[in-house]
Amino acid sequence: MMLGFTSKQLVGVGIFLFMIFIGVPLIIGATGRWDFYFTLTSVALLAIASAGVWLTFYIGRINIGQGAFALIGAYVSAILVVKAGWSFWISLPAAGLFAAIVAILIGLPILRLRGVYFAMITLVLTQVVTLTALALPITNGAKGISNIPLPSSISVFGIPILPDFAAMENTKLAFYYTACIIMILTYAALYRLVNSRLGHLCRSMQQNEELASSIGVNISYIRVVIFAISSFFGGLGGAMFGSIAQSVYPSSFQVADSVNFMLNCFLGGLGFVFGPMLGTLVLYFGWDLLFEFGKYQMLIYSTVLIIIIRFLPNGLLSIRFGKGGDK
Amino acid sequence: MEQILANGVYLGSQYAMIALGLTLIFALMNVLNFAHGQMYVIGGFVTYTFYGQWGVPFVLALVMSCVTLAILGALIERFLFAPVIKGSAREESTMLLAAGIAFFLDAVILLVFGEKQRGVPKIVDGVFNYDFRLIMPYDRILICVLAILSIVAFIGLMQYTKTGRALRALAQDRTAAQLMGVNVDRYSMIGFALGAMLAGLVGGLLVTITGVNLGMGGPTSIKAFMMVMIGGAGVISGAIWGGIILGFMEAIGLALLYQYGDITYLLIFVSLMIFLAIRPQGLMGKPWG
Amino acid sequence: MSPLLQVKNVTKKYGGLTANNDISFDVAENEILSVIGPNGAGKSTLFKMIASFTPTTSGEVIYQGERISNLKPHIVARKGVVRTFQETTIFKSMTVRESVVVAQHLRAKASLAGYFWGSKTAKEDVTAFGKYADELLEFLGMSEISNEQASNLPQGSLRALGIAIGLATDPKVLLLDEPFAGMNHDETMNMVNLVRSVRDERGVTVMLVEHDMPAVMNISDRIVVLNFGEKIAEGTPSEIQNNEKVIEAYLGSVDDEIGM
Repeated sequence: MMLGFTSKQLVGVGIFLFMIFIGVPLIIGATGRWDFYFTLTSVALLAIASAGVWLTFYIGRINIGQGAFALIGAYVSAILVVKAGWSFWISLPAAGLFAAIVAILIGLPILRLRGVYFAMITLVLTQVVTLTALALPITNGAKGISNIPLPSSISVFGIPILPDFAAMENTKLAFYYTACIIMILTYAALYRLVNSRLGHLCRSMQQNEELASSIGVNISYIRVVIFAISSFFGGLGGAMFGSIAQSVYPSSFQVADSVNFMLNCFLGGLGFVFGPMLGTLVLYFGWDLLFEFGKYQMLIYSTVLIIIIRFLPNGLLSIRFGKGGDK
Repeated sequence: MEQILANGVYLGSQYAMIALGLTLIFALMNVLNFAHGQMYVIGGFVTYTFYGQWGVPFVLALVMSCVTLAILGALIERFLFAPVIKGSAREESTMLLAAGIAFFLDAVILLVFGEKQRGVPKIVDGVFNYDFRLIMPYDRILICVLAILSIVAFIGLMQYTKTGRALRALAQDRTAAQLMGVNVDRYSMIGFALGAMLAGLVGGLLVTITGVNLGMGGPTSIKAFMMVMIGGAGVISGAIWGGIILGFMEAIGLALLYQYGDITYLLIFVSLMIFLAIRPQGLMGKPWG
Repeated sequence: MSPLLQVKNVTKKYGGLTANNDISFDVAENEILSVIGPNGAGKSTLFKMIASFTPTTSGEVIYQGERISNLKPHIVARKGVVRTFQETTIFKSMTVRESVVVAQHLRAKASLAGYFWGSKTAKEDVTAFGKYADELLEFLGMSEISNEQASNLPQGSLRALGIAIGLATDPKVLLLDEPFAGMNHDETMNMVNLVRSVRDERGVTVMLVEHDMPAVMNISDRIVVLNFGEKIAEGTPSEIQNNEKVIEAYLGSVDDEIGM
């Protein structure tokens, strides 16, 4: 036993880490498919945002508004780096925190809504943020913010901790590693959270809010805390994305992206912390692989999606964890 | 002022029809139909093809839009929603399915009709002009009247026919309806087909004025969601009120703030969020949960 | 001695409908008090107001000298007044033991962050919760089913689970919502004994809403009778049994049921 993991789980985590940090670079090096770095980096970042959506589901709310928080994160980081001259590495947590603060303000009223109502209002939220980005002067309207510099080096007391990305030969690999490290930290935090008392309280709220409040759980407080954490993940993922693309536009994250974050969670399976990671990998990688089919890409993608939902309505992981959800 | 009111009525009548279809499907199956906007777009393209390209009379083309969507809706319900609802541990799976169908229909529209904006010849020429205070092209007036007539016909159908009564019973309580001898499977399919048909009908009506293009689907769905939220999900009067209110807000906002572009929509969204914070069940909805 | 809990002139109106009209009574410490009345008499609404699940229209509920009405349920629970629900309100996909562990939320000493980082207090809490859960389930005679998923339990066990969840919060006053509904005679008698031992051995004051007259007469120290939202009688079981107003109210409702 270490950190509450069983030895079997430790082996699994070990293999997973090995694959990410050594296996994937080796395979890409051998096959020469350097474009996969970008794909996998995107998967990692989208998986961070999806983790947030999964967490809101954990308190029984369907969140189709993660695109809004990803967009907020991307803009905050871009503005801090370009207009205020901050280091990207400081702007990254700032972007997450800003998204979390927005989530607290918006969450206070809207988290009272349940079911379809919450789902619809979060969907509308994505549209609100897009329109706000178009309207505000600081976000540059439809032109967006482009030419964001690559992350600069960072050192503490003269000791370099992170290198200057602009000076690197292989920024793809650097971004890949950065994204993976942040993703792993995100999921480690998510795992801890779900298995700590906060997670247990979330579960009690997911199953019955009335009963949860009768045993003394301050449900409105926990809802807001969870929504803030969820949006922190969204802001983090969005900010990283903006940095890699070196630009942000109001259309960088749209309603369709919000829907995709939700799909990632559902497809992976809601009963399992790593579900959203798997869902993101399958959906995004699948989408990328279908690129060869040109104009039929969307048709094949959506057909496969519909077939999966039709025959595995409880998510991909439900094959292994056969018991299905709770009803 | 008269102009704003007239625009409000015009927008509101079409919006109400879109919201009616969405709310009907929601009330019957507890499904949030993400693909509603895409169904609307398909309706527009069918009318465009028959009326605009092949010269079939407009009314017949409209009928074709309705028929196409009704069949599509029935098939989607029968072969996708019904089995997923039965086999899923969570109600939310239907939301996922609806999103998948929205993507699928978008892909089909892209392949069959292409990306271009399409328009059709005017159905009637001329402009109604009352002293320059109220200017409205005749075709808009005609479409508005047709939309209102369709809403009246829909309400009549729901109130006075056997099908309507069965649908209402189903919407109120599925189990009770089943016990009363309503064929739940059959009427779910009919209801879904009817909801899809309404979306197709509005699409067909509006193609004569705004034209139609692939990108309209998503935004239309979002507007429909908003109307349903304003009025209260699953309530017919709520959908009509939601449509009228959104129509008027848009007409007023666009008239007063037209130089600021999309700020109207931003204001509408923000006021909707404030409204829902105060009244989560919407205007007509029952408090629940 | 001043009463533990006082219901003072409580009125609840829903639109034009009056669910409770000017109801007042006291609950003494360590008492078992039942609220009875024909269907629609406003019993459940009264319970909801005591536990702050719904605000009063006027009047207030006082517990140990403090107003507890028109607050939030979790605050009232924190003060020690906890309600249970009918059997459908449970944590469906948790086991019995998990439910009871989660319900000890109010006993936690560590902060939520402490749990996240795995602080020493948090670890002690987790051990203590487990121990207390086992003890409580043993006390309620539920040890054998402690690892069953709640959604698989039969109705009788679900009621007991509801009480177990309520007790796990360490309440001073427990409000039981129809604890005997749908039970046969033996099951009811078991439950009566259980509720009595909750009072006798754990010092919990119990209020219950119930239809089952024999059980109510058996278990209660005192009874409050509601009819059409009004309090029509209050007293010991024998006083209530001989109260004309009560007999009239119940006979009247029987007439309605058989269509006279």
